[in-house]
Amino acid sequence: MAEFNTRHDVQFKDDDFVLVQQTARITDTKLATKPTTFFKDALRRFAKNKSSVVAAFILAILIGCAIIVPMVSDANIDKVSTTEGFLAPKLFDAGTGFWDGTRLRKRIVYDTVNEVPALSDRYTPAALKQSIVSITVDPEPTPIDAASVYGQGGVIMFATDAAVSNNDAFLMSQQTTFTPAGGYTFDAVLDSEAGVNESQLGEYTVYFQYGENPEDKLIIRDWSRDYSPIHYDISAALTEAGFQYNTKGRVVFELRSSESGIQYILLKSAVFSTVSGRNKDDLAAISFTDATKMINVSDTKSLSYWSCSGRKGIHNSLIYYCDFVVDTYMLVYGNADTVTYSATEVNNWIENGWCTYDHKVGPSSFVKLDDRCPIDEVVDQQVLSVTKKLASVTGRGWGYHKLGYDEMPRFILGTDVSGFDLFKRAFAGLRTSLVLGFCTFLFCFAFGLIWGSISGYFGGNVDLFMERFCDILGGVPWIVVMTLAILHLGNNFFTFFLALCMTGWMGTAARTRTQFYRFKGREYVLASRTLGSSDMRLILKHILPNSMGTIITSSVLMIPSTIFSEATLAYLNLGLQGVHSFGVMMANNQQYLGLYPNLVIFPAVVMALMMISFNLFGNGLRDAFNPSLKGSE
Amino acid sequence: MGKYVLKRIGLALVTAFIILSLTFILVKLLPFERPIGDDSKQIAYYDRQYNLGYVYRFDRETPEYGEYLYKSPMDKGRSFYYYMVPVMEQYTRWLGNILTKWDWGYSKTFMPNVSAGVIILSRIGYTIKLNIISVIFSVPIGILLGIWAALKKNTLTDHIISTVVMIFISIPSFVLISFVMSIFCYNLGWLPSSWPPDTAPTSMKAMGYIIPVFCLSFGSICSYCRFTRAELCEVMESDYLLLARTKGLTRRQAIVRHALKNAMVPIFPSILAEFIGILGGSMILESLYGIPGIGRLFVTSLGYKDYDILFVDMAIFTTISLLAGVVLDLSYGFIDPRIRMGAKK
Repeated sequence: MAEFNTRHDVQFKDDDFVLVQQTARITDTKLATKPTTFFKDALRRFAKNKSSVVAAFILAILIGCAIIVPMVSDANIDKVSTTEGFLAPKLFDAGTGFWDGTRLRKRIVYDTVNEVPALSDRYTPAALKQSIVSITVDPEPTPIDAASVYGQGGVIMFATDAAVSNNDAFLMSQQTTFTPAGGYTFDAVLDSEAGVNESQLGEYTVYFQYGENPEDKLIIRDWSRDYSPIHYDISAALTEAGFQYNTKGRVVFELRSSESGIQYILLKSAVFSTVSGRNKDDLAAISFTDATKMINVSDTKSLSYWSCSGRKGIHNSLIYYCDFVVDTYMLVYGNADTVTYSATEVNNWIENGWCTYDHKVGPSSFVKLDDRCPIDEVVDQQVLSVTKKLASVTGRGWGYHKLGYDEMPRFILGTDVSGFDLFKRAFAGLRTSLVLGFCTFLFCFAFGLIWGSISGYFGGNVDLFMERFCDILGGVPWIVVMTLAILHLGNNFFTFFLALCMTGWMGTAARTRTQFYRFKGREYVLASRTLGSSDMRLILKHILPNSMGTIITSSVLMIPSTIFSEATLAYLNLGLQGVHSFGVMMANNQQYLGLYPNLVIFPAVVMALMMISFNLFGNGLRDAFNPSLKGSE
Repeated sequence: MGKYVLKRIGLALVTAFIILSLTFILVKLLPFERPIGDDSKQIAYYDRQYNLGYVYRFDRETPEYGEYLYKSPMDKGRSFYYYMVPVMEQYTRWLGNILTKWDWGYSKTFMPNVSAGVIILSRIGYTIKLNIISVIFSVPIGILLGIWAALKKNTLTDHIISTVVMIFISIPSFVLISFVMSIFCYNLGWLPSSWPPDTAPTSMKAMGYIIPVFCLSFGSICSYCRFTRAELCEVMESDYLLLARTKGLTRRQAIVRHALKNAMVPIFPSILAEFIGILGGSMILESLYGIPGIGRLFVTSLGYKDYDILFVDMAIFTTISLLAGVVLDLSYGFIDPRIRMGAKK
C-alpha cells in the first residue's frame, strides 16, 4: 500500500466518480426481514431476558405440580391419622443416610432399663429398638434436680418450707414394728454439698420415736451440723431403754428452721436392716439406697414411705442423655403387634396365591409367597371346636398392612401432625391459592378495566367522582376489609374472593385511567373521532388495545399478592377453611418449627420461589411490553 | 400551596371519617358478644354502656325494644333489663361520645372494663420503639446499598445487590421470620425464640430485639436500596450532571453535590411516610414473635371476639395509613413543586 506523506499526494479526477442513478432504476424493494406484530416483538424481547424465562419456567413447573400432584397422588390429606404424624422426608431407601426417612434426635433422655431412648409413650421399647439406626449414649450421666423415671442415684433434698419458716421441718419414715432382739439397725448417709438452690445446709437432729408423745424418743444424733454417716443399732438402744417386746417406731429427721433462709440437708441413703428376717419386706419398703427411685415410688404410688412436713425434692439425680438416628417409617410402619384375621381373609390370601397355610398342621405350615400378604408369620390359630374348621389366625406382619397400605409408604416431604402428606397438601393448598388468585385477577381486571376506562376516557366530574370513591375505598387497609368480610360472612372461599376483589380492582383501574389519559389525546383517536366514531368504538378499538399490554402485565402481579394475602390472613388465625389452604398449612406448622423444621421450611421455600418467580416474570413481561421502562423498578 | 395542603388534609379527614363510620357500623352489626366476668362486672359493663347510650335499661321486660342482652340479678327487689340500641342510633351517640368525651369504648372479654385508650397506650410503646429502631437501621443501610449499586451500575456488584434485593423483596415476611427463627433460635440457639418478658435481664431484652428489628428492616432495606438505585441511575444520566462534569467537577464532587441531592428528592418523603407507616407495625411479626404491640392486639382481640378493641385497633391502622399518604403527598409537594395532586396534566 502506498504511503501518503502529505495531503497533496491524494488527487481526485472526474473519472473517479460514477453517477449512481445513471443506469439503475430505483424502486421500493421488499423488506428482507419478516414483518412482526407487537406481541411477537414483545415475546422476542421477553425471551431475551434470561431471568424472566427461568422464572416463567419455574412458575410453569409449580403451577403444573399444583394441578397434577393432587390429582395423581393418592396420599391421605383428608382423614386425620395421628399415628402417621411427623414422619421424616423420605425419597431414598432407608439406610442411604440422606433423605431416607430417618431423623436425628439430640439429647433425649436414655432409658437405661430398656436400653432405648425415652422417646414418648407412643412407641413400645421393642418398636423403638428395631427402628433405631444408630445411637450414642453420653458416657457420663448428667445430674438434674428433677425426679425423672429414667434417673437414678442422687440425694434427697429435705428442706424447710419458707412459708412456715418458724416451724421445724420433719422427715419421718413409716411406722414399723421393731423388737429389741431382732438385731435392727439404721444406716443413713448424708451429703454435705453447700449452697444448693441458694439455700443453706441446716442444723438437724435424728431420733427414733416409739410413741405418740413427742417425748417418747431415743436420740440418734442430737442437734448438730455433722453430716457424717449415721449408724444406729435400734435393737441395742431399745434393750438399753428397757423395752422387752415389739415396739412400733419410726426414724425422724428434724431440721431447724432459720430466719436467714431455707435450710436443708441432703440424704443419700437410709437403710433399715435386721438379722432376724422378720418384717424384711416392710423394712425394704422404707429403706432407700437410690434417692431418685424412692422419690418416684412415693410420688407415683402416693405412698409416703417417708412423709415430710417441709419440702422433699431430688438433687443431682443422674440421667443419661443420648443422640440417636431413628427411622421414623420403621417406627410407624414396622413390625406391628399381632393382629387376628378371620378365616375368610386367610382363605382369600390362599386363593390369591399370596401364601399357603394348612390349619391342620398349624402355624409352622405358613409360607409367605407374595409381598401383598399382610402377615409374615403365624403366631397362633383358633379352630372351631365342632367342625374343626379354621376360625381365625393370629399373625405378625408389617404395620403398614394394618394401616391400609400394600407396601411401605414413602412421603417425600414427610407428614405433618395429622399424618397428612406434606407434598400433596402443599400443592393442593397452592392449587386453591392459584384458583383464588386467578379468579380474583379475572374479576378485578375486568372491573378495573371498565372503571378505569370510563373514568379516564370521560374525565371531568365523572373522573373526579370516581377518583374520590377510589380514594376512600383505597384508604381502608386491606386487612381491615378482609377481617370485616370474614367476620360477617365466615372464612370460606367466596368471602375471600369477594373481599380480595373489593380491594384488588383499584390498582387496575388506576393504571387503566393513566393509560387512557396518555392515549386519548393522540392524533389517531382524534382522527377516528372526526370520522364519527362513537365513544364505545374509540375506547374498545383504539385506546384499549394500545394500553392493554401495560395494564395486563402490571395486573398479573395481583395473583402473587392474592396468595400472599391469603397466607397472611392464615397467620392471623383468619385462614381459609373448608378447602386445602397453603397459608393455613404453613400457619399450623409454624409451632413445630423447633422440632420439625421440614414442615415449615418446604412450604416456605415453595412460597418464596413462587413470589420470586412471579415478580421476575411480571418484570420481564413489563419490560417486554414497554421497553422504555426497562430496568426501572 | 396553602390551598393544596388544605385540600389534601381535608380529603384525608373526610376519607377517615367515612371509613371509620363504615367500620364502626360494620363492627356493631356483628353478633353481640357477651362480656365475661361475674355479675358485678357485667352490671358495671352494661351500666357504662347505658350511660354512654349504647344500651337501653328498663326495670321490667320490654320486648319491643331491640335485642335483649342481659338481666341483672335481683337487688333491692328489682332487676334491670338491658336491650340493644339500634345500630344507627349507636353510631350517632358514638360520634357524640368521641367529640365530647373522647370515649372509644371499653374492652369486654380481653381485659374486661378497661378502656380502649389504656389498652392501646400500654401496647403502642413496644411497637413504636421496635419500629423506630428498625427505621434507624434500615434507612442508612438501604440508601447506602442503593448508592453503591448505582455507582457500580452494570458491574458484578450491582448485579449481586440487585438480585439479592429482588429475592428478598419477593419473600413474604412470615417466610423470612420462619427461616431466621429456625436458624438462629432453634438450630444455633443464639437468640431467644420469643420476645423476652419485661422482667428479663437487660442483655436478654437486647437480644430479643435482634430478630424483630432484622425482620422489620429487611423489607425496607430492600425497597430503599431499589428505590435509591433507580433514582440515582436516572439522575446520573441527566444532562445537568454531564454539565457538572464538563465544567470540571470530579466524579465524586458531581455525585455528592448534584446527583445525590437530586436523587434524595423522592426518597426523603418516603422516609417520612415510612416513619408513620411503621407505627402500624407488623401484625405477623408481632404475633409470631410474641411482641405485645398493637399488631398482636389485632390478633388477640380477634381471638377474644372483643370487637370494640378490634375496632379501635383497626381505626389506628386506617388513620396511620391515611396519615402516611398525606405526609407523603405533602412532602413531595413541598420538596418538588412539579409533583402536586391535581396539577394540570
